[in-house]
Amino acid sequence: MATATFPKKPPSPNNAYVVAHVEPTPATQVYLPEIFKGLAVAMKHFFRNTKEMVRNERPDPVTESIAKGITTISYPEQKRPYPERFRGLHRLTQRDDGSPRCVACLCCSTACPAQCIFIEAGEYPEGDPRRGYERYPVKFVIDELRCIFCGYCVEACPCDAIRMDTGLHAVPYDSRDQFIYRKDLLLAQASRDGSHLTANPRHEPGDETHPGVTREHMTH
Amino acid sequence: MPTFTYDGKTIPFEPGETIIKAAYRQGIEIPHYCWHPGLSAPANCRMCLVEIAPAAGQRAMMLDVLEWDASLNDYRPRQKPKLQPACQIPAAEGMQVKGDSSDNVKEARKGVQEFLLLNHPVDCPICDQSGECKLQDYWLEHGQYQKRMRDEPIHKPKAVRFGPSIVYDGERCVMCTRCIRFMDEVAKDPVLDMRERGNLNEIFVAPGRELTGHYTFMTEHVCPVGALTTVDFRFKARVWFLRTAKTVCQGCATGCNAHLDYDPRYNKVYRYRPRDNEQVNAYWMCDEGMLSYKRAHEDRVVDPYVKGSVSAMKKALAEAKSYFEAVPGETIAVVLSAQHSLEDNWALRELAGAYLGTRAIYATGLPEGYHDTILIHEDKNPNTRGVLELAPGVRPFSSLLDDIEAGRVTHVIALGGETPADASAELGPRAKNALERLQALVTIAAHDGLLARAAHVLLPAASWAEASGTYVNAKGIHQVTEKAIEPQGVSEPGWKLVADVGQALGYDTSWTKLKQVRARLTSAPTVPDAAAVSPSRPQVTP
Repeated sequence: MATATFPKKPPSPNNAYVVAHVEPTPATQVYLPEIFKGLAVAMKHFFRNTKEMVRNERPDPVTESIAKGITTISYPEQKRPYPERFRGLHRLTQRDDGSPRCVACLCCSTACPAQCIFIEAGEYPEGDPRRGYERYPVKFVIDELRCIFCGYCVEACPCDAIRMDTGLHAVPYDSRDQFIYRKDLLLAQASRDGSHLTANPRHEPGDETHPGVTREHMTH
Repeated sequence: MPTFTYDGKTIPFEPGETIIKAAYRQGIEIPHYCWHPGLSAPANCRMCLVEIAPAAGQRAMMLDVLEWDASLNDYRPRQKPKLQPACQIPAAEGMQVKGDSSDNVKEARKGVQEFLLLNHPVDCPICDQSGECKLQDYWLEHGQYQKRMRDEPIHKPKAVRFGPSIVYDGERCVMCTRCIRFMDEVAKDPVLDMRERGNLNEIFVAPGRELTGHYTFMTEHVCPVGALTTVDFRFKARVWFLRTAKTVCQGCATGCNAHLDYDPRYNKVYRYRPRDNEQVNAYWMCDEGMLSYKRAHEDRVVDPYVKGSVSAMKKALAEAKSYFEAVPGETIAVVLSAQHSLEDNWALRELAGAYLGTRAIYATGLPEGYHDTILIHEDKNPNTRGVLELAPGVRPFSSLLDDIEAGRVTHVIALGGETPADASAELGPRAKNALERLQALVTIAAHDGLLARAAHVLLPAASWAEASGTYVNAKGIHQVTEKAIEPQGVSEPGWKLVADVGQALGYDTSWTKLKQVRARLTSAPTVPDAAAVSPSRPQVTP
């Protein structure tokens, strides 16, 4: 009785066919020419790398994978730039006065398939010009461990208040609670160009640009 | 019954009824903003326009319109049938009404929708109505266009305080005047009106007045958009997270039908909404009732207490047993509660009558208060009639105090913490002293009160929001509430706690399911729907 092999070998597919069969030639049978061919490739890379390192001219890391030459970079001193639309860690955009643009509508946490956003809405405090007009997030928490970086929250946000344009990817922390990003941290994150604002200006209550109430007598 | 057809569907109506009301009763909704089944019909939103075929032998009313023809690159004259508001036209025998099946009506709806949204700010992220807003719903259903107006919209006052409970946002208002008509027709306090003309229209409060009274919350409820918001619910929750349970308001003996909106994620109740029931409350609720949802979380008993300190359920039951060993039945009294459901009261009465053998049955509840002729009943207990049906000879709380002071009653098992003496200055101290004289007081209560505070053993009962129960209102209508949130703390339904107490005292109180309780409570099947009326009375076993 033959001993069963484990793991079980999958049955060979019955539609398999030989793509290419290289007949051994005397050149490959001799073995040494192929060795030297391989060494030549390695040495070519070695000398090119050394030359580029001495001259301090690295190839463009974006195109280097398709360019000739080395295919390694010295991470983390060198980083491959991420594409334009890369969804990095979240940030909360700010208004001109530094307050969050978020109005705590909970659209992002509704759209979030991972359910990693928690928001507690509240009314602006007494004396704030936005009191009565708007709400603001008293708490805004994103659990970056649960987040799947799908960008639905950014899609859902009607106020351009949450963005994923920081260009940062999740950092390996050493404890789980450091992945819980709170409002102050999210507000402190800047976009890739270092700005905290958005490209979408808005009317603010009491703005110069705001035409104000259309009728004349304001008393109500 | 005479009938007419709407989009080919035959709809019966009572003579004099409008088209929209007859369709509404059949569950067919003709889109509308300003019409409300409980209010008059002003026909000022123009959303319910329908096409009515002319009567036999009559010409249809036609409108001459100019229509842009792209192929001619010019306007060309055309005739369109004149549409009529369904909320104003009384239905007639054999009338043929076209709604969704008429292209003219569809066009009109789209036009009305665009007109209403011209100056409407797209505040949806901030607006509390988002998710239940007619403008959103009808835009999806009948609109679906891009905004064409490039001008700055009209700006009106925002966040205007109409009164202590209502905030008004002029820009969101679509001038349906429902709130004005509600205050006029139902609350009989014409404090709201409209001023300015055209797109400067706004609602305002009569000078020198505020929107106050006992029916201010309803103005927010009838508002089809987010123009009126209540201070209480403002910015608290988003409606698409809320789940709804059909319930009955616990504020007074009227027993208004309501929806209880709660968030299952936080096990928290957020608001009441009135539920239509022509027999009880029509479409309305009072302010006190609308705010009484807070009782699901306020003044609650959620842990067992033994002599005022938190304990465990088993320990509390063992403690209760130790009080009642070798006590003659005639010194034991039970106190039913008009604040608790029929099931809870039935269980206690069963324990008293069938097991303890006591004849001393008393009742507590909240004292009487404000009442009016619209909805508010002077009796502030939801289930007074139910207690009277269960125990016709029930004695009031004051006679319980007399009997304690006379020494006729030394051991009490009570339901509900609230007593008529809770807030009264003259009765309060007397009740407190009397209850302290008791040798044993076991209270099963959902809410705090004198009986709960004086109890030697206090067991946490589930409130009306956490357990299904039957309540009998002042008219004698049996209404069933649905369970909304999960029981808070370690609270359990009152009838179950009564069974536990009975078992602790050594009786075989064997009901463990609500079904069993209801089957024994009434010979008729239980009322599945709170709106249904049960003519049957629970059978009182002597």
